[in-house]
Amino acid sequence: MKYLGKKIMTLIMTLFLVSAAAFLAFQIIPGDVVASILGTEATPEREAQLREELGFNDPPLVRYGRWVTGVLQGDLGVSYRYSKNMNEMMPVAELIGDKLPVTLWLAVLSFVFIAAVSIPLGVAWAKSGSRFLDAALGVITQTAMAVPSFFLGILVTYVFGILFHLFSPGAYVGYEDNFWGFLGYLVFPALSIALPKIAMTARFLRNSMLTELGLDYVRTAYSKGCTKKRVMYGHVLRNAMMPVITFLGMIVAEIVAGSIVIEQVFGLPGIGRLLISSISTRDFPVVEILILYITFVVIFVYFLVDLLYKVIDPRIS
Amino acid sequence: MIRIENLSVAFGETEVVKNVSLDLADGEILGLVGESGSGKSVTALTLMGLAADSARITGGRILFDDVVLREAGKPCDKALYRKYQGAKMSMVFQEPQTSLNPTQRVGRQVEEMLRLHTGMTKEEIRKCVLETFEAVGLRDTERVYASYPHQLSGGMRQRIMIAMAVILHPRLLVADEPTTALDVTIQSQIIELLRRINQKQNNAMLFITHDLHLARRFCHKVAVMKDGEVVEEGPAAEVFGNPRQAYTKRLVESVPSRLDGGEKTPEPERTKEAPVLQVRDLWVYYQDGNDKLIPRTEDADAGKGFSLRNILFRNRRQFVVQDADFEIYPGESLGLVGESGCGKTSLSKAILGMNRHIQGEIVHHCLRPQMIFQDPYSSLNPSKTIGWLLQEPLRAAGALDKSAAMTKKDMETAAYDMLKRVGMEEKYFYRKPSELSGGQRQRVSIAQALITNPGFIVADEPVSALDVTIQAQIMELLLKLQQEMHLACLFISHDINVVYKMCRRIMVMKEGRIIEIGDREEIFSHPREEYTKLLLCNGEEKRDNSPENAPAVMKPGCGAYGVPQESGQGQE
Amino acid sequence: MGAGNGLQLGRNPFAAGDRRICRRYGFGNSSYERGREMTRGKKTGSGNAGNLKKRWNKYLVAGMIMTGIAVMLGVTGFFWTPYSTTAMSASERFAGPSLRHIFGTDNFGRDIFSRVMQGLGTTIGVSSLVVLFSGAMGILLGAFTGYFGGVADEIVMRITDALNGFPSILLTLVIISLLGTGRQNVIISLGLVFVPGYVRIVRGEFIRLRDADYIKRARMMGAGKFRILFIHILPNIFSVFWVSVMIGFNNAILAESGMSYLGIGVQPPDASLGNMLSDAQGYLQSAPWYAMAPGLTIVWVVLGFSLFSEGIRRRAE
Repeated sequence: MKYLGKKIMTLIMTLFLVSAAAFLAFQIIPGDVVASILGTEATPEREAQLREELGFNDPPLVRYGRWVTGVLQGDLGVSYRYSKNMNEMMPVAELIGDKLPVTLWLAVLSFVFIAAVSIPLGVAWAKSGSRFLDAALGVITQTAMAVPSFFLGILVTYVFGILFHLFSPGAYVGYEDNFWGFLGYLVFPALSIALPKIAMTARFLRNSMLTELGLDYVRTAYSKGCTKKRVMYGHVLRNAMMPVITFLGMIVAEIVAGSIVIEQVFGLPGIGRLLISSISTRDFPVVEILILYITFVVIFVYFLVDLLYKVIDPRIS
Repeated sequence: MIRIENLSVAFGETEVVKNVSLDLADGEILGLVGESGSGKSVTALTLMGLAADSARITGGRILFDDVVLREAGKPCDKALYRKYQGAKMSMVFQEPQTSLNPTQRVGRQVEEMLRLHTGMTKEEIRKCVLETFEAVGLRDTERVYASYPHQLSGGMRQRIMIAMAVILHPRLLVADEPTTALDVTIQSQIIELLRRINQKQNNAMLFITHDLHLARRFCHKVAVMKDGEVVEEGPAAEVFGNPRQAYTKRLVESVPSRLDGGEKTPEPERTKEAPVLQVRDLWVYYQDGNDKLIPRTEDADAGKGFSLRNILFRNRRQFVVQDADFEIYPGESLGLVGESGCGKTSLSKAILGMNRHIQGEIVHHCLRPQMIFQDPYSSLNPSKTIGWLLQEPLRAAGALDKSAAMTKKDMETAAYDMLKRVGMEEKYFYRKPSELSGGQRQRVSIAQALITNPGFIVADEPVSALDVTIQAQIMELLLKLQQEMHLACLFISHDINVVYKMCRRIMVMKEGRIIEIGDREEIFSHPREEYTKLLLCNGEEKRDNSPENAPAVMKPGCGAYGVPQESGQGQE
Repeated sequence: MGAGNGLQLGRNPFAAGDRRICRRYGFGNSSYERGREMTRGKKTGSGNAGNLKKRWNKYLVAGMIMTGIAVMLGVTGFFWTPYSTTAMSASERFAGPSLRHIFGTDNFGRDIFSRVMQGLGTTIGVSSLVVLFSGAMGILLGAFTGYFGGVADEIVMRITDALNGFPSILLTLVIISLLGTGRQNVIISLGLVFVPGYVRIVRGEFIRLRDADYIKRARMMGAGKFRILFIHILPNIFSVFWVSVMIGFNNAILAESGMSYLGIGVQPPDASLGNMLSDAQGYLQSAPWYAMAPGLTIVWVVLGFSLFSEGIRRRAE
């Protein structure tokens, strides 16, 4: 319980620090946001009015306090770029709302691919005594890890989309319209994210298992008369999986990062794409919220990994 | 019962076991002794069917009750072996720490033995395991049953390993250095346990050890191995008492022994000279939290109890050395004996000024005392050449004190000279430590410590990591240099025989306190403390003793094997 | 992008496993050899043949050849390319690979091989500066914090820990959105983002060696602090450090090209592999070679560096 409490405290502290850093960093940016929002319609009066409206006249800390309170109450602020209509500004929450599921499903699908393929592959690899298979898998995974995800996305588009016509690139189906069609389209970007990670995880698991197999307790197990299968699944696998769980936690963080790029490649309207476009248009309220959100996801995953680790490893107290 | 006939085992092209033949009858204890790399472990592992797949049998065969377990040219029949492993032959390993699965409860690990080889029900299995735990001298068996290995002490873990090995009453028990990783006091308990098991279950035992004293005390027969061959075999008393082969002779002579060593130890002239080191009322402690010194009187209760101050500041202070009081004179070696964790290292660190957490007085009368470490593999910087390493102390001394600065050429000459004095050839000057053997490295280590002629050194287990023959050479070297350089030395070791050979005066340390200090003859013949007696017993050698009338170190205890129970709290 | 695909610096997940494997000599890695069997006299000093074999392994050779070719092309690309990288030719638009244009031409009829050479030059140049900056910072910060510990160490470690678990792409994006796009800003942002990884590695090594017996001895001799830091300890961490430099190089290459692909890195008219890929994506159907050329070049370089680092690591063991 104490452990849990401590971990939750750290989680909250980190979130606050990141939010402060993210918010304050964007306050020191050169260039006047107000002028750039209004563009050609800028008049001194309107600028002053908007400045007052957006609360730019207050000191940064006050504005940070207001922002944080807003976020905690569910008010994420308004976008500088998008507007609902001539008179109403676009709330960030609304802007993000319909993009979130796209990214989430993409991440879930990628993770399912990774876990489902890499774990059996890693175990089989560690078990196989064949030198040829060992070398072949070594080369394949090494190469797979060297392919950047955006190029992999392009390759997948080319091979599955253009050569085999399994999907039509760019013809994204919204989840609101046809959920299964949406998921079917997501398979390919998810594959692009997953492939290098599958290679990494399988390699990691295999190495972890070989490390464990070299340890003394394995010899003890054999000395009891255990079969190789019993040693593998009864003793080694559980111990070898422990570092892999941490590794998978890191992989989740990287899936989130990878989706930012992959959404661009496949033209998916997710939050990664929104982030990139908001950065290029300097739409800071959106950027701040997205960074906070991604940070939260990553930290939360690490938190879960910590908990899981505590459950399965008796050595951690 | 067990016969190994002309066994040869090879890894790739190199044969590590050559033409080894051994016989073992029920109830017999055969000691397999030899230095590292002599092939004793490989022999045992091959016998157990546990050698790696890359190990090929190139000759001979292994028989168990006339059943051929392994034969040259044939692959290991794993299914056949599995019937024997655990049930008829089992093994106890050196490191109980790593030999148990860290994430399984120990009860479950012992149970696995019964699950694999018997058809008992769950309740029967549990009952049997608990009984065996009791029999090997574990207390509080229910709790132990549900513990993970990391929650138990080293001695308890080894008892678990033994329980696992003997639970099915195997005909053959292979014990590979079962006590090497344990402390002296625990060692004797474990040995006693093994002996009782041997008597009770009447199983044959193959006992692998590098410790000749132990082999002599414990085994009926011994086989001496060297470079993969058995050079001599016979009853323990005969082989050690009257070795026929040159190698065995050398081995036996190399073992530091009270009966023939010691006369070379230099006698210090205490009356004429002032001591090089005076330690007065020294306390060394470790402390969590802050570095502030608190008067000792306050400390008696600090750290204990559940006060707010302790929780908030974690101001716990643990004294690892208490009230040390001694001095060392020029040319003298003072021996320091004790178990691991008794504070030997903390004391030496404090003396060398590497620990700031001290109270009391340490007065040096020499400049920059040096230290020789235990592990020759980590005490030389791997990225430098030997020559560079030898000159570094001179450079450092020159940088600190301009008057001591030497020219490059002088330093080089001094380094060459020192290299020669520790018995090494000049060609090693440009080698790197990785190209040297353990003994050679330890020589360089000594050279590096002595090149500035420090007058006083601390030698922390300088020979413990070495094989006996090398050990003897290094000890000779140290004695020689000590005389030549009129060197004072604090000599730390867990091996009372080594200390006897090196030192005139001996200190015994236990739980941070120096419990005995005095002349070696006096301590050896009239130990005042119970603990000292125990230490002495362990290094005991009686040329005429046989296992039956071995010293009963332990008080009689309870349990099915009549073995002593584990001492102390056990919980780590 | 880098974080999306590359191995993160400082968590080289493959180190532990492979080391065990190649040293595996039956149960050779168990306590048997660690404990008593310390006299390795027979194995050491095995002469030149053994050393030579130790010095070269197939990973090292393959990695050196691959990176060698890439670096040569890239460096040449700074000064000379077979064709002008900007010369357009309407008659030669989308010419497939041929002897004249071995990688074909693009939508403006420019020679793709020449542009790849130039892009490679940019990528390697940017990555070198990034690694140089972050590596040097890492050594300095890591050495001092690791050796001396104390408050500075606490602070630096808290920061690096927080940053290390984080997808580095996010941080890069924040810095880029603060500084704006462009080549220098890519170097600055990546340089900063990679520092924590190096600090962690170097610090870890310094902590490990700080208490090594031979360093204790150096202290007892009275060697000065700087001498201990940079003459006694530093040479011993080089093999570990070089491995992380290689991995860092990879991450920098992936990150740079990823950012250029997203349009927030190197800006046209500077050729960069990422730029080319994003241009080429639109012509995937008609001119697939346009995308393959820069994409496969990235794979080639990254694979080369990972083999190189693998080779160095194996040699060090």
